[in-house]
Amino acid sequence: MGLEFETVIGLEVHVQLATRSKLFCPCSTDYIGAEPNSNVCPLCLGLPGTLPSLNRKAIDLGLRAALALKCSINRKTRFHRKNYFYPDLPKAFQISQYDVPLAVSGSMPITIDGRVKNIGITRLHLEEDAGKLVHSTSDGRLSGAMFSLVDYNRSGVPLAEIVSEPELSSSEEAREYVISLRRLVRYLGVSDGDMESGSLRVDANVSQKCSDGRWGNRVEIKNLNSLKALERALEFEISRQRDLLGKGVEIIQETRHWDDGAGVTRSSRGKEEAHDYRYFPEPDLPAIRIQSAEVDRMAGALPELPWEKRERYAKEWGLNLPDASSLSDNPDVAEFFEKTVASGAEPLLAANWIRTEILRLVNENEVKVLDLSVKPEHLSALLNKVRGGDLSNTAAKDVLGVMAKEGIGLSDAMKKAGVREGGFSTDALEEVVRAILEANPSEADLVLGKKDPGDKKRKFLTGLVMREIRGQASPDAVAAAFEGILESREDMGNAHSH
Amino acid sequence: MDAARIASGIREAEFSAREVIQSSISRIRSLEPTLNAIITPLFEEALSRADRVDRIISEGGNPGPLGGVPVVVKDNMCMKGIPTTCGSRILEGWKPPYDASVVSSLEEAGAVIIGKSNMDEFAMGSSTEHSAYGPTSNPRDTGRVPGGSSGGSAASVAAGYVPIALGSDTGGSIRQPAAFCGVHGLKPTYGLVSRWGLVAFASSLDQIGPFARSISDMALVLDVISNNDPRDSTCSSSERPSFSDCIKDPSVRGKKVGIVREFIGGSLDPSLKGAIEKTASMLEASGAEIVDVALPMSGEYGLPCYYIIAPAEASSNLSRFDGVRYGMRAEASDLITQYIKTRGSGFGEEVQRRILTGTFALSSGYYDAYYLLALKVRRLICSEFARAFERADVILMPASPTLPFRKGELVDDPISMYMSDVFTLPVNLAGLPGITVFTGFEGSGLPLGVQLVAPRFQDSRLLEFAGVIESWAGRPGISPGGDK
Repeated sequence: MGLEFETVIGLEVHVQLATRSKLFCPCSTDYIGAEPNSNVCPLCLGLPGTLPSLNRKAIDLGLRAALALKCSINRKTRFHRKNYFYPDLPKAFQISQYDVPLAVSGSMPITIDGRVKNIGITRLHLEEDAGKLVHSTSDGRLSGAMFSLVDYNRSGVPLAEIVSEPELSSSEEAREYVISLRRLVRYLGVSDGDMESGSLRVDANVSQKCSDGRWGNRVEIKNLNSLKALERALEFEISRQRDLLGKGVEIIQETRHWDDGAGVTRSSRGKEEAHDYRYFPEPDLPAIRIQSAEVDRMAGALPELPWEKRERYAKEWGLNLPDASSLSDNPDVAEFFEKTVASGAEPLLAANWIRTEILRLVNENEVKVLDLSVKPEHLSALLNKVRGGDLSNTAAKDVLGVMAKEGIGLSDAMKKAGVREGGFSTDALEEVVRAILEANPSEADLVLGKKDPGDKKRKFLTGLVMREIRGQASPDAVAAAFEGILESREDMGNAHSH
Repeated sequence: MDAARIASGIREAEFSAREVIQSSISRIRSLEPTLNAIITPLFEEALSRADRVDRIISEGGNPGPLGGVPVVVKDNMCMKGIPTTCGSRILEGWKPPYDASVVSSLEEAGAVIIGKSNMDEFAMGSSTEHSAYGPTSNPRDTGRVPGGSSGGSAASVAAGYVPIALGSDTGGSIRQPAAFCGVHGLKPTYGLVSRWGLVAFASSLDQIGPFARSISDMALVLDVISNNDPRDSTCSSSERPSFSDCIKDPSVRGKKVGIVREFIGGSLDPSLKGAIEKTASMLEASGAEIVDVALPMSGEYGLPCYYIIAPAEASSNLSRFDGVRYGMRAEASDLITQYIKTRGSGFGEEVQRRILTGTFALSSGYYDAYYLLALKVRRLICSEFARAFERADVILMPASPTLPFRKGELVDDPISMYMSDVFTLPVNLAGLPGITVFTGFEGSGLPLGVQLVAPRFQDSRLLEFAGVIESWAGRPGISPGGDK
């Protein structure tokens, strides 16, 4: 008894590279919503006599991702043919990479429970996508009156396959890895990383190491079309494997298909297992040389990476890890945040306002953060008024709303919102407080006579002041004004008694 | 008449392009029942194209260097909207939606493509007997094969259908039929002529080249088709010389001609040995020096090396013919059976043999022992040619070990058939230019030819040597009936 298990997961992630044209022909890669077989030419239909010409932009994007993943770049790389018959593969071979991929041996940090774990990257290689089959029957047989349709719009679209080392030890880690990788490729402009539309696809390899020294065979899971599917499939597969190993049954090394509806993985023996891909060097494409200068230039042009930003926000500006993450997740939000701080805003205040108010404006107006009419320097000026006590949060939110709606600067927005430039001075505020006290003598007497249990009356009067000034001073400033008046009254009282 | 003479006659209004094409059509009509050199005649298209040339001339325009010249292209080169069969049943009914690079080049130069020529299926064969459209006969002796796989193009030039034709050469498929049919045939350096639109047999070996009855025509065609083409990544991007200029005043004085002694001993047909020796002494008399070179790897291992690499690439290139999207489809109730039936009935025996060989050579467990080893041998062959070219400017060797054989003689003996390319295929493995030059006829009237090989991108040097040989041996005439 007491058999324990360790889960070992490696992921193969395919990301569609954000090129405008396909990997080997000039056809558009924009297949979303396109008429089937409208983005095709003789080459990506695999017609006889056609020859591939490499789209260098795909190499550049692959290199950019590889450098961000700290991979070593192969200075001479080449393509291979992976041969197999399937109707979605018009040449009956896929042009892919085999023995000399674009890049090898990198790593990427992921954060699990506030702790950073580095996951090794085995390789990154480029390949072309296949077309898409639509079956008229669920088992894909071409029987009777049934038929299958093929759409080759996706055929030849460039993909980067990024293979991790088997260093992920739970479904949460696998999920976090995919999220981090997706964030990275979006940051770099390498891919839109959208799982629903298939521009980011994940296959998982999972096995178990038993405490009695046994190793379960590796199982590959396919058809993971969302993060949820990835997590559920891994959970299912982990417990399936542990059950079998617990009973002393050996795990069959195979490919299993995730059935999202049924919530199970199913063996898909046949297509994958039976294949000997007969890889050999693609004779129609010469080897690709990657110059050191090119690599250096691309490495120099890399932006600050999401995990580097997160660390800097925490270290230099004192943000907690969740806030630092949420502000660094999206490069545009990060840019907005950094520009706000750069134009003088206090980082923690800016972080709070951007996470709440600015992102709310983004969602409400359905615009990109950098396209908001409120610019970082506007926000920074506004926050400095809040910080200086010139504006209460409430008033500042009103002003921000006006700025966003009207597309105007701070001072105009304050006028429009009826907020005086400079807010209420201490004197002006005290004047309002005095007026309120005079207008409410019974409550004023109780407060001044210190017969106000729980400061109830004082809170009431403060509320009246705030209403009068329409939130144009911070609660602290109003409280200070009260204190000032109380003290002067006490002094006066003392003077009288002497 | 050669192509240059026809083009100038049309330009000078001595005769019209329509007249030229008409006479070409009638020659084809009268001889095709015997020769079967053309799979798809394009007479209507050719006549309307000829009329266009005549119109350009009547309007004082320039129809191009090949304006109005009838041309035949091998039926593995794509022409938009025209059936392209590769001599196979499996491509039945397929019409490419685009033109091969060489087809565009020819048509831009004013050439009139009058037919698509017969060939061994997918260019696999040395006799043009492995065609789904029946065998082609040799115009010099209709009981014999024209060689192959570009037998239809070679026969078309020898029979005077056309002055020039295009073929493709993967292991000798231009040079061997040129020798068998008694015309000149050039396989350019790999990468000189774009392969865009050539249905691939073995991508790293295939090259398109011309057949002609004069070396000046050959240079003219090469000028037209040897363009830098970004659609073929293996096509050289460097500038091409004017081949026509290079052969204006050909000379071999002071040049060294390498002879491989092993190649002209042994089983080489004595009349071909005689042709080599005669050519060597003529070149010597023209001021060249004869030197010995050795190509032991090519002689010993060229053939087995080729018969691993070429089928391996072919097995992959021909996988796309699955009946799913175009061509022939054998209906079946499931996908795998559809593949098996389509490919089993659509491909001929020789093509199936090579697909199986190539698939085997690439299979896991055999890859290292076959394919990888063949790649190593290929590198050795390249370097032994490089060493030979340190001693010689060109190498003179046979184009074929035999004279044209009789129809049916080797069709059931694949190994002997493969031996027919023993002297030509090492040149493809090394990516070098090779030319077959017609040198006359032997006693019984069968044509003789020799092969010259030069370093990469020294195609002009080959043409210069060929020009000198031609000035001594004379241009090949047409059969039957002789030149008119």
